[in-house]
Amino acid sequence: MQELIILTFAVPLLLAFLLPTVSRVSFTLSKLLAPLVLIALAVMVGCIWRFHDETFVLHIGNFAGPQGIVFYIDRLALLFAFAVPVITVLMWPWYFDREESSELKTRKLSLTLLLVAASAGMSLSGDIFNLYVFYELLAVASYGLIAGGDQKADGSSYAAAFRYLMISALGSVFALLGIALIYFQAGTLNLAHLSEMKQVLDSPAGLIAFVFILLGFGVKAELFPVNSWVPEAYMASSKRVAGLLAGLVSKLAVLAIIKVLVLIYPQDEARQLLLVLGVIGVLIGEFSAMKAQDMTRMLSWSSIAQLGLVFIAFSIPGKAGMLAGLAIALHHMITKPALFLIAERWGGSLQQLGGRAASSPIMAVLFVLFALSMVGVPPLPGFWAKFLLLSGLSAQQAWLAIGVVLVMTVIEANYLYRVVSSLYSKDKIQSTTSGHRKADAFSAMILGGILIVASIQIQTIGRTLEDIASDAIDVKSYISNSIGGSS
Amino acid sequence: MLDADSILFSGAIGLLVIGIGGMVISDHLYRMLLALALAEAGANLMLVLAGFKWNAAAPIVTASAEGTSAMVDPVPQAMVLTAIVIGVGVQALALTIIIRIRNAYGTLSMRAIKHKMEQDFAAKADLPIETRNVPARNE
Amino acid sequence: MHRLTSFLFLGGFLFFLSVLAGIMPFGDPPMLIGQVIQKQGVAETGAANLVTSVVLGYRGIDTLGELAILFAAATAGGLVLSSGKRKSVVSGDDDAGFIVKTAAELLFPLLVVAGLYIVIHGHLTPGGGFQGGVILASAFFLPLLARPSAKINHSVMSLVEGFSGAAFICIGLIGLFNHGAFLQPFLAKGVVGELFSAGTLPLLYIAVGLKVGAELAGLLAALNEEDDSKEGSEHA
Repeated sequence: MQELIILTFAVPLLLAFLLPTVSRVSFTLSKLLAPLVLIALAVMVGCIWRFHDETFVLHIGNFAGPQGIVFYIDRLALLFAFAVPVITVLMWPWYFDREESSELKTRKLSLTLLLVAASAGMSLSGDIFNLYVFYELLAVASYGLIAGGDQKADGSSYAAAFRYLMISALGSVFALLGIALIYFQAGTLNLAHLSEMKQVLDSPAGLIAFVFILLGFGVKAELFPVNSWVPEAYMASSKRVAGLLAGLVSKLAVLAIIKVLVLIYPQDEARQLLLVLGVIGVLIGEFSAMKAQDMTRMLSWSSIAQLGLVFIAFSIPGKAGMLAGLAIALHHMITKPALFLIAERWGGSLQQLGGRAASSPIMAVLFVLFALSMVGVPPLPGFWAKFLLLSGLSAQQAWLAIGVVLVMTVIEANYLYRVVSSLYSKDKIQSTTSGHRKADAFSAMILGGILIVASIQIQTIGRTLEDIASDAIDVKSYISNSIGGSS
Repeated sequence: MLDADSILFSGAIGLLVIGIGGMVISDHLYRMLLALALAEAGANLMLVLAGFKWNAAAPIVTASAEGTSAMVDPVPQAMVLTAIVIGVGVQALALTIIIRIRNAYGTLSMRAIKHKMEQDFAAKADLPIETRNVPARNE
Repeated sequence: MHRLTSFLFLGGFLFFLSVLAGIMPFGDPPMLIGQVIQKQGVAETGAANLVTSVVLGYRGIDTLGELAILFAAATAGGLVLSSGKRKSVVSGDDDAGFIVKTAAELLFPLLVVAGLYIVIHGHLTPGGGFQGGVILASAFFLPLLARPSAKINHSVMSLVEGFSGAAFICIGLIGLFNHGAFLQPFLAKGVVGELFSAGTLPLLYIAVGLKVGAELAGLLAALNEEDDSKEGSEHA
């Protein structure tokens, strides 16, 4: 039964290939079929998690690793394999510009399905070149989705897509170079096998390979210095696409980097590099968010800053770091898409938001909820995530990082409060845009509901995350599971 | 100094440096794309070099060939096959985007395009142009 | 000044890469997985061309990802080209000259045969689905070069593309449901070196070849239909 986990990759891909043909028959069929298939896949992953709770390994094609490709499925992989279809369904592009041909709409749906397939593959894979291939699939699908623009493609969406493409392609060249360097020295591509050969890679050349791979995968993870594409791309594309990219895709890129970091590069230098890049990302992100004049740009910079936090968290060695990083990443995965959904109607100049709370009270309350969680107000999950981060950092005596995180929180509170106060201000500004679309409001409410449930169940969630984290850093059992021979 | 590995490596590294340099320095979109193609070629060459063995044959088993010990590593060749196809896909897509940018903005200079893109964003957000975040650069 | 710093940076980068390359064990790679594949490749997959056994056997799911990337690029390219389309003016000469037209008519069958040959013999000699597919695509693009106003049948191309991609995945799924693992090769391995050997590998390569051919032909045709020649555009 558990081999069926591969279907989370294969079925969206199959559907994406067949979607143009299905659309010729009936576009409505393809519009409805895809989300249903995704929901079915999520249910399947949930069942696998429920009934088969041990780590297992899939040998693709029945070729034994390390020469074959091995999918390593522990609870972390299952968590992401579950989250991918769920978040995608919540952010599914239901709305299209009225003038678009059905061919165009089908293309966008195909690209979204390819995004899902690539994300599922990335969460499961245990082979470094396989991660690269799925990462490239993710990249090309997102180039297309960004170029598709917000309702209608125009010059700015093409320009943003091109700039993103250039940075991402440059990163991919570096990643490929890094993989070549690793293959030169180690002769294998399987993550577990590479983990056995860490000593070979504990050299300057090995560390340089890590830096190259970090630059490559860091593009999607919004890592400094390869994150200049972020504000433009999120402003050019539709908010649902932006939410998908910021919420889901970035986490998978982070996951790939973490797999490489934990398994192959346990050295301090690697972690310090992550810490430095994370701190710079946080500082640049928060200061730019404060200066931002419109909601989407503000949210983009805030996303960069939160991902900087994630990297700071993962720079803490051991279970504490993994736990904090996972907590912040999951929290961001829920809040950021919701905020982008709210920004769908409220995106644009911040001055226009005066008094909007009166006309859309639920959306305003949701915005306040997500803002409070991002800042880290107890008892919301955001508070626990930041608390885990700060306690891990203090155990490491990383006072600079702690200072940066606290300053960041203050700045975040500042600009989010500005938005909230203008939402609830008494002087209303005449707005020409209509209220939120039903699907946006619905998805945002579901995400808000998840957040509230998470706050109530924080103990159970905390324990589950602790288990997942200790599994994830257990390198020895990773190696023995993968190569020890279990099929 | 001029042995085989120096020549091969200098080829790969030269392509990489020219390609990456071209992408970073260039202002013209099409030239950036060409530089990307060069850089990708360099990276692919580097990857193939990772499987090379002295005095070894191609990894094809024929009836006459005997020992398998004298065959080049087939894995980097398979990786490069994949990487080349990925590169082709990305370059084709980039070309279509360049065509559309030229239609929409009438120029292919990255600076001018960035400026126009920021103007479009400001217009979309209903911000007056003076409060845009990025100051215009006159080139 | 900007130029100078860029060149200095590039010079430094060049030096850095050269030093790095010097450390690499060139010509004597560790080949941990390469050796296993060389020993067992023929026995496990039946393909004489070990690179094919890697591409479609050991790392088959990478090839599936690669197919998906090409599909994504073609889809996104189609998306970009059909949006923001100006008037659908297909101008330019309807006739590219006697030489091109005759050559196209002569070369078309040769290219198709060459492409199919390379696709089908992918498991025996160097070549395979991707290489043959590109040749097939150029074969179908030649008539468009000869007669620039001709249009290719996009719906046929898209059908071929969709179904061959689906065929690849379905072969993989048959492997999953009947034999236990996704993309497990299952037909008889046959004798190494014969055309009908290596189980499902030639079938996979045929699917790949048709898909790549149809995809690239469609993309090239879409690019061909973009006609900018009227403006005499000068790119500086």
